[in-house]
Amino acid sequence: MLKILIPTVMLVVTTWNVRAKWLWPATLTHSLLISMLSLTWFAHTSETGWKSLNSYMATDLISTPLLVLSCWLLPIMILASQNHLSQEPANRQRTYISLLISLQIFLILAFSSTEIVLFFLMFEATLIPTLMIITRWGSQAERLNAGTYFLFYTLAGSLPLLVSILYIQTCAGTTSLLILHYAPALPMTSFADKLLWAGCLLAFLVKMPLYGIHLWLPKAHVEAPIAGSMVLAAVLLKLGGYGMMRIMVILEPLTKELCYPFIILALWGVIMTGSICLRQTDLKSLIAYSSVGHMGLVAAAILIQTPWSFTGALILMIAHGLTSSALFCLANTNYERTHSRTMLLARGLQAIFPLMASWWFLASLANLALPPLPNLMGELMIVTSLFNWSWFTLLLTGAGTLITAGYSLYMFLMTQRGPLPVHILGLEPSHSREHLLLTLHLLPLLLLIMKPELIWGWAI
Amino acid sequence: MADYKEAPLATRPRTLDPNDYFNLSQEKRRADEERAALRANLKRQYLTQLNNPSRTELIEDPALTRWVYARANPFPHFRPTFKTSLLGIVFGVVPLVTLYYIFKTDRDRKEAQIKAGTRDRKFNLAY
Repeated sequence: MLKILIPTVMLVVTTWNVRAKWLWPATLTHSLLISMLSLTWFAHTSETGWKSLNSYMATDLISTPLLVLSCWLLPIMILASQNHLSQEPANRQRTYISLLISLQIFLILAFSSTEIVLFFLMFEATLIPTLMIITRWGSQAERLNAGTYFLFYTLAGSLPLLVSILYIQTCAGTTSLLILHYAPALPMTSFADKLLWAGCLLAFLVKMPLYGIHLWLPKAHVEAPIAGSMVLAAVLLKLGGYGMMRIMVILEPLTKELCYPFIILALWGVIMTGSICLRQTDLKSLIAYSSVGHMGLVAAAILIQTPWSFTGALILMIAHGLTSSALFCLANTNYERTHSRTMLLARGLQAIFPLMASWWFLASLANLALPPLPNLMGELMIVTSLFNWSWFTLLLTGAGTLITAGYSLYMFLMTQRGPLPVHILGLEPSHSREHLLLTLHLLPLLLLIMKPELIWGWAI
Repeated sequence: MADYKEAPLATRPRTLDPNDYFNLSQEKRRADEERAALRANLKRQYLTQLNNPSRTELIEDPALTRWVYARANPFPHFRPTFKTSLLGIVFGVVPLVTLYYIFKTDRDRKEAQIKAGTRDRKFNLAY
């Protein structure tokens, strides 16, 4: 654990001490080395399930994929931000990179924490760098509104979580995940216990987001700069999923009665957000709503708590993280050239950017869960386990898959096929940096087809 | 114009309507010329930007900007009317309530069958 944390903290020192000319290559190399080191977490040899154990942090089979994803994301974020920050003075660039690194540190601590209190602290702490990134470096005036929605939705959801954690501490005597999973079930019969159940889950449901409380997500994703969008879509949403997975164990047996509204909201949200996507004119907004849909499937899967559904949820979280981040990078390549997110303005790009069109194609196919990509593995496991839970979910998940395919193809056809607008001039050719960025997103996704054991948690 | 005859099932287009050709009133002509002047001004602005050799960015279309903004921000103009309330109920309330009913009855029936021992459970609970 320390071999990752200490280099990440020292990355801040690197950021502030290299010469301005070497800032981006140095931070990129350093963060890439850290992500290579983080791959060692995949070697699970212990029998207890927890590895790299120290007093407060450990990795196990569901936190490892998420940890490696967040470590992998830092070099990619640095690579993606290089262009739009090139105009700024060096110290501001360093500040931006330090914000990304602090986000990374909080995420590593969050995913590897064994105490629920530490997880909660880091869960909240990730809000601050993200808020700074969105409100300071976003491009439109709506970013202030977006930052407010983002901050206050998450804070409002997590105040009940704080109270619930403190209650669990007094009631069970500990908040360590190592112990709580073996503790006897808390007696949960009164209305106050139902409030405890809701309080524990609400913060994570807001973060996931669940369909009814998802309003912060399109705003935050659209207004954030590229690194902010990437980290939001790829990792911060998964914090909600991971938190839910950890805390569900304590909340039995109430979950069997109380989960229905949330599963229904999540599944109906898949269809509703898919339909909204079909009507979108703003490219980033389309990708943001597709995130809501995919995370709705994950939320429903976590709420039904079977081994296959947890596996499906975990695989879909990782696959969606990589895919969504890739799509945001592609949208950003459009935005950097036309300075507009409207899909109508940048059509027919296949004629001028053929290699970028092939990345668009792969990313759109990944988004619609094409076999043999892990997106399909996750979705299929979730759909199957939901079908086992109740046959009628198949109507919703099936229709959802259909609509997802519809809007993914719509996005691809709108941006790549069709007539080129006549008045567009001066579109820069694709940089190798952008091709590298997308390769780094899509290559892990393709490699995971070969070895899904890395990301499927305990099951099977 | 003199010997234009419409096709049997077609309507005469407005530009070939004899009322619009002959006996034009002065106000109508003035209004038409004003509109043509505005259109020509807009076209000249667009063509200046289009043919500017040192232009590198997109030509901004204010109508497109307004349209995109309107598509993205409907809420300030939202008014609860019969139609919007009906849409909200049909897509927001009815599905959630029906799905709750469907899932609850299905799961309760399954649970009752399990408790009575009539359900054929082929797979193990613990693996």
